Amino acid sequence: MLQVFQLLVNGVMAGAILAVPAIGFNIVFAVLQISNFSIAALIAVGAYAGYTANVLLGLPPLLAILAAFLISGAAGVASDRLALRPLRGYGAIAVAIASLALNMVLENIVRFIFGNDVRSLDVPMMRDWIFEGIHVGPQAVFNFLVAIAAMVALFSLLSFTTVGRAMRAVADNPTLANIKGIDPEKMARLAVFLGMGMAGIAGVLLALDTAVDPTIGMRVVLSVFAAAVLGGLGSIPGAVVGGLLIGLAEQLSTLVVPVAYSSAIGFAAIILALLLFPRGILGDR
Amino acid sequence: MAGMGALAGKRVVGSDSWTSSESILTVRDLHCSFGGVKAVNGASFSVQRGAITGIIGPNGAGKTTLFNIIAGSVKPARGAIFLEGRNVAGLRADQLAALGLTRTFQLARSLGDLTVLENFALYARDQPGESLWRALVGSQSVVAQEKAVLDQAWELARRLNLVRVANDRVETLSGGQKKLVELGRALLGEPSLLLLDEPIAGVNPTLGAEIGKHLLAIRDSGVSILVIEHNMSFIGRICDHVIVMGAGSVLAEGSFEEIRANEAVQSAYLGMSA
Amino acid sequence: MISYLVALLTFGAIYALLALGLNLMWGIAGMVNLGILGYYALGGYSSALLTMHLGIPVWLGVIAGALITALFGAATCIGLVKLRDDYLAIVTLGFAEVMRNIAENFVSLTNGTDGLAQIPRPRLGVTGSDFNVVYLVICVMVVLVVLAAMERLRAAPFGRVLRALRADPMVAASAGKNVLGFQVRTLAVGGFVLGLGGALYAHYLTYISPEVFQPQLMIYVFLALILGGRGNNYGAVLGTVLVLAIVEGTRFLADLVHGLDAVQIGALRAFVIGVAFIVVLQKRPHGLLPEPRRIYTDPAARS
Ligand SMILES: Nc1ncnc2c1ncn2[C@@H]1O[C@H](COP(=O)(O)OP(=O)(O)OP(=O)(O)O)[C@@H](O)[C@H]1O
Ligand SMILES: [Mg+2]
Repeated sequence: MLQVFQLLVNGVMAGAILAVPAIGFNIVFAVLQISNFSIAALIAVGAYAGYTANVLLGLPPLLAILAAFLISGAAGVASDRLALRPLRGYGAIAVAIASLALNMVLENIVRFIFGNDVRSLDVPMMRDWIFEGIHVGPQAVFNFLVAIAAMVALFSLLSFTTVGRAMRAVADNPTLANIKGIDPEKMARLAVFLGMGMAGIAGVLLALDTAVDPTIGMRVVLSVFAAAVLGGLGSIPGAVVGGLLIGLAEQLSTLVVPVAYSSAIGFAAIILALLLFPRGILGDR
Repeated sequence: MAGMGALAGKRVVGSDSWTSSESILTVRDLHCSFGGVKAVNGASFSVQRGAITGIIGPNGAGKTTLFNIIAGSVKPARGAIFLEGRNVAGLRADQLAALGLTRTFQLARSLGDLTVLENFALYARDQPGESLWRALVGSQSVVAQEKAVLDQAWELARRLNLVRVANDRVETLSGGQKKLVELGRALLGEPSLLLLDEPIAGVNPTLGAEIGKHLLAIRDSGVSILVIEHNMSFIGRICDHVIVMGAGSVLAEGSFEEIRANEAVQSAYLGMSA
Repeated sequence: MISYLVALLTFGAIYALLALGLNLMWGIAGMVNLGILGYYALGGYSSALLTMHLGIPVWLGVIAGALITALFGAATCIGLVKLRDDYLAIVTLGFAEVMRNIAENFVSLTNGTDGLAQIPRPRLGVTGSDFNVVYLVICVMVVLVVLAAMERLRAAPFGRVLRALRADPMVAASAGKNVLGFQVRTLAVGGFVLGLGGALYAHYLTYISPEVFQPQLMIYVFLALILGGRGNNYGAVLGTVLVLAIVEGTRFLADLVHGLDAVQIGALRAFVIGVAFIVVLQKRPHGLLPEPRRIYTDPAARS
């Protein structure tokens, strides 16, 4: 029983981190109706931006996270502008496929600069806290809180600011929003910046959790897609729910199958879920 | 209100006639809603064999949804559909097409990548060349059938004045020509019942009159037709019988003259569109 | 140099099969499938395992591997068909990852990341470099047969239905076509071709490991099809040749730039190929060869 509680706690923590890039994926989808698969590489970009800030420049983790947000966001906007935007007229699938190539390009830029070596961020090793027999790492708690803070900040931006409302208007109905004088192109840029910035934050969190190498994004991207799809493409609350469910499913599945299969389990679960909800749990489009 | 009551009374048909040989299609008490919108709400009527039946009604009356249900694209919440006396509720669109029911779409859904002839040929029924195995190995019957289908397609192109563009991709055609393609391919399947959703919307009056003539000729060749149209003079010219829909159910039916004289219809529909 | 070319062309032939299989599924029938490497690997692993453990002849194993993949393709189709395009893209991409995960971890069957070694080669009566040449000839013949078959399917009424499905499944249904039935057949035939490629790969290298799932390979296959011309079977083969030329051409980049380590050279090559892909998509989104259009003659004009 204790083991189950332990897995539930781990699942929620892991799920919150997964939800961050899943939100990023879905915010881009909501505004552009495009699956941008280069999010995996932008997680890696964020992780290395965080590494540079933290290890090479000696900045504290919170500033490293901020740097990762800005750099991944900017890299996302620039690469979208150069590689993907010219293709939008050819349909969402053409863009999605191009974004796979873009992913390869970005990941290899990172590899070119930093090599394949595994690196760790500069954080103190701390002993786990133990509550009633349940182990919780202080670093994991920190990561969890950062993930929650990033999500709350994004929600507030979307809910309480003019620009956030404008962006949601574009997501709901681009034509109508355009008539109201909102520039959809500007909102698209902002969505990509925020979305890929979230991916960057997730990169640092994953790096803090384990270590950095150029495939850091590829390793989790399956779970991120699973979370995004499960919640419903383009749905931001959906991404949160999806992230938590996938995090929990992956952890709990270790009770019955070897750990190595957990990401496959998560994905198999969503295929089953999609048979019941072809548009995801909270998806409406 | 009184007028409507009288009409409603006239409309009631004995249950034995639901499957009578007079009517090719009978629809009973269909219901279908989207979220809170009751798009079709208790519609019942019959379509007479070998005649053109018109459906009119204001925008959003549920006419297209009704077609979608009859053609098997949308599942009704409840209700029964009889085609040739057989209960066909729950069949898929392709199964209904195989039974001789063919429909067109309100917003022309042409297969833009395919040429006019290919659009026509697609609709031919029972093509051996559509079997994977026979397509691979080929056979005399495949070749012979394909030739017959194409001869039919050319024949249709001639009838619809599309010979000049027969080998062009449909996406390069004008809006009116697309409507003709839509009509033509429905005919190639040699349907026994044809459902047409606004066949002359957006078509110039001359072409519209021509389509009307085609429909009369098709009826005279023995095909039953159910046609939705907002153009009243078109309806008046070609329909043997008219059904008025409003808010998802049948408000009235009768000959065009009866309908035109009916006050309830005027207030429900004609008044609104004037 | 000759043996390098022979090996290159053999891989080219195998990749051409991938492009042809993808062309049937996506180019002609419009079902996007980012999981093609899953089918490729399945064909390779099943043929390898059947020949290794049951001792059945290699060619029988190749056919069996392709058939297993075909069945699997049909099964995935039934699971996925309800999904809309963008969901389908993600789910199929994830599907290949799941297959990789299984290949890496189901050690008792697949030998994990070490892969299966000593997969039997077919007996061709020759060994060494002669074997490679004969094997190449066989692969090229397989490509030609598959190309001819795919062309037949495309030109037949069967192919007409698939193109109709690509444009608008609802219209195809109203034309009396059983949409799911055609899609299942398409993924089965496409799966067969992809599985065939995987099996030929496994028995050529005598080795298969989860490395067959390298994401670049999927990008190469899509690039080949887009560059050659979606919907055109000859385009799929032509595109494969061109992509192979681009990919191999980047090998010579290493000679042009100095002072880079092996990782950097690899990264640079991948970078160049990725950029090439994006540029091709932007400059030639419809590829080099257009989809063939059949022009019919008017029987009245003929007589
Ligand atoms: N797929 C759908 N989802 C949600 N609502 C729908 C859908 N299809 C139809 N409706 C709603 O059902 C009602 C009836 O629509 P329908 O298209 O059947 O009307 P119609 O009589 O064909 O109108 P028109 O003359 O404008 O073509 C409308 O209120 C419409 O908004
Ligand atoms: Mg309508």
